[in-house]
Amino acid sequence: MLNIVGKFDVVVVGAGPAGSSAAYTLSKNGFKVVVIERGRTAGSKNLYGGRVYSKPLEEIYPEFKREAPIERWVKRERFSMMVGGELLTLEYYSRNSTSFTAYLSRLAGWMAQKAEEAGAIIVTDVRVDDLYTEDGIVKGIVSSGDVLKADVVVDAEGVNRLILERHGLVPKLLPRQVALGVKETIRLDKQKIEDRFGLLPEEGLAWFIIGNVTGGLPGGAFLYTNTTTVSLGMVVFLEEACKKVQKHVFDILEDLRTSQPFSDILKDGVLVEYGAHLTPEAGLDMAPKKLYTDGLLVVGDAAGFLLNLGYTVRGVDFAAYSGYLAAKTIIKAHSEGNFKAENLSVYQKLLEESFIIRELRRHRKIAKLLRSSELFTTYPEIFVDVARKLFNIEYTSPTLLQSIRESIKGKTSLLSLIVKMLSLVRAL
Amino acid sequence: MSVQALKKIKITEALNTNIWDVDSRPHITVDYEKCRKLCDKKICTLLCPAGCYTLSDDGILFSYEGCLECGTCRIVCPHEAVKWDYPLSGRGVQYRFG
Repeated sequence: MLNIVGKFDVVVVGAGPAGSSAAYTLSKNGFKVVVIERGRTAGSKNLYGGRVYSKPLEEIYPEFKREAPIERWVKRERFSMMVGGELLTLEYYSRNSTSFTAYLSRLAGWMAQKAEEAGAIIVTDVRVDDLYTEDGIVKGIVSSGDVLKADVVVDAEGVNRLILERHGLVPKLLPRQVALGVKETIRLDKQKIEDRFGLLPEEGLAWFIIGNVTGGLPGGAFLYTNTTTVSLGMVVFLEEACKKVQKHVFDILEDLRTSQPFSDILKDGVLVEYGAHLTPEAGLDMAPKKLYTDGLLVVGDAAGFLLNLGYTVRGVDFAAYSGYLAAKTIIKAHSEGNFKAENLSVYQKLLEESFIIRELRRHRKIAKLLRSSELFTTYPEIFVDVARKLFNIEYTSPTLLQSIRESIKGKTSLLSLIVKMLSLVRAL
Repeated sequence: MSVQALKKIKITEALNTNIWDVDSRPHITVDYEKCRKLCDKKICTLLCPAGCYTLSDDGILFSYEGCLECGTCRIVCPHEAVKWDYPLSGRGVQYRFG
């Protein structure tokens, strides 16, 4: 039941980072906003890997750095290729940091609270079933048969775009457009986290791992350190997983957790939560044909705004910033006195001028490269093999070139390896 | 429950660490006829991260109680045997560390 009285300027579907950032910005500018959230609390249905890039959020929320529920600032970036118990690792350490670890449940909760403080009404426990339209123009939402009217709707429903699908605004989601993420949150003593990962208090680690960590499925594993927990998870591209999966995805993750070096690093850890979520992987190729129609704007995961670079992922800042731009669009359209598609089209323009579409365009090529199974199996095998030959010296040691020549035997040619590496470097 | 080094845990144990408010009505329904008649691979049994789909004789057994609401089954089912929606009234999984 929707026990909401009155007329609203804006209805926002979903109190995730995108929805709440839209609601916060609109409320701050005097709009009457209601956010409809299906979870018991804002954030209770949100799940992600574990790291957020800060700058865009600081622009939306001036008090962000002081108030937000930040766990640790990421000062240690680690990228590993892992084969068996052998790891070849690239690590970057800096005292400066532009990203932090956080629990998305709490961060989304904080954003919703900011929206509420600014005047928005957050209604939880209510699932939105459909858009309400009059003469093809979106004029509100429908929940359990009840209609809630508004001048404009912001769709922040997330990656499973049931509402957009029902309305024929996007085709049914396909396995090739998404990846499946699974995550274990493991409680570990604060001191142990800092000792085992070489961190000072409040410093964090973000770690990506490719190789034989995902049961032969294209994808990768990740580990993030929070204050008193570690998030260990993996992401697998769903289309490839459909074809190749041999083992249950949870068991693949358990294989990783209980194998060296993770079994030692996570010793004495206590599992406190296990979750899963889909993540958009097709970026602009899965965006709705139009990100706006008469009375409707689409933001966040629902719009496909997520960037997977292979060594890091940006989702929360993209989502929040798209919500912020949707709010700016609505403010402008209101000044023109109309919420027709032509008035809302400035949203597209704002997105294109912002980092969101520029980043997604620039990295479009990566999506394809990231799916090649060579990248996830053959190349880690080759590189780890080369490293072993170079570093495990007994009497004589080979040259680097000799090692590479030996390691690629039967797997690929030197030329093809170089070409592939160059194309990867160019795409990045 | 402790996840000691090298000891693997079962998915039910992992799901039990979560906070749940399970609805009495299922939010997902499965057309078992389709599973039995049309599907030989049954990848849902490996890809549903909550293990909601299990093999039974020639068909599928489905239980919605441990559902993590990710939506994987909805899109990987090649026979559209899954009727999928989110739970009502805030029910289902309650993430604290999501």
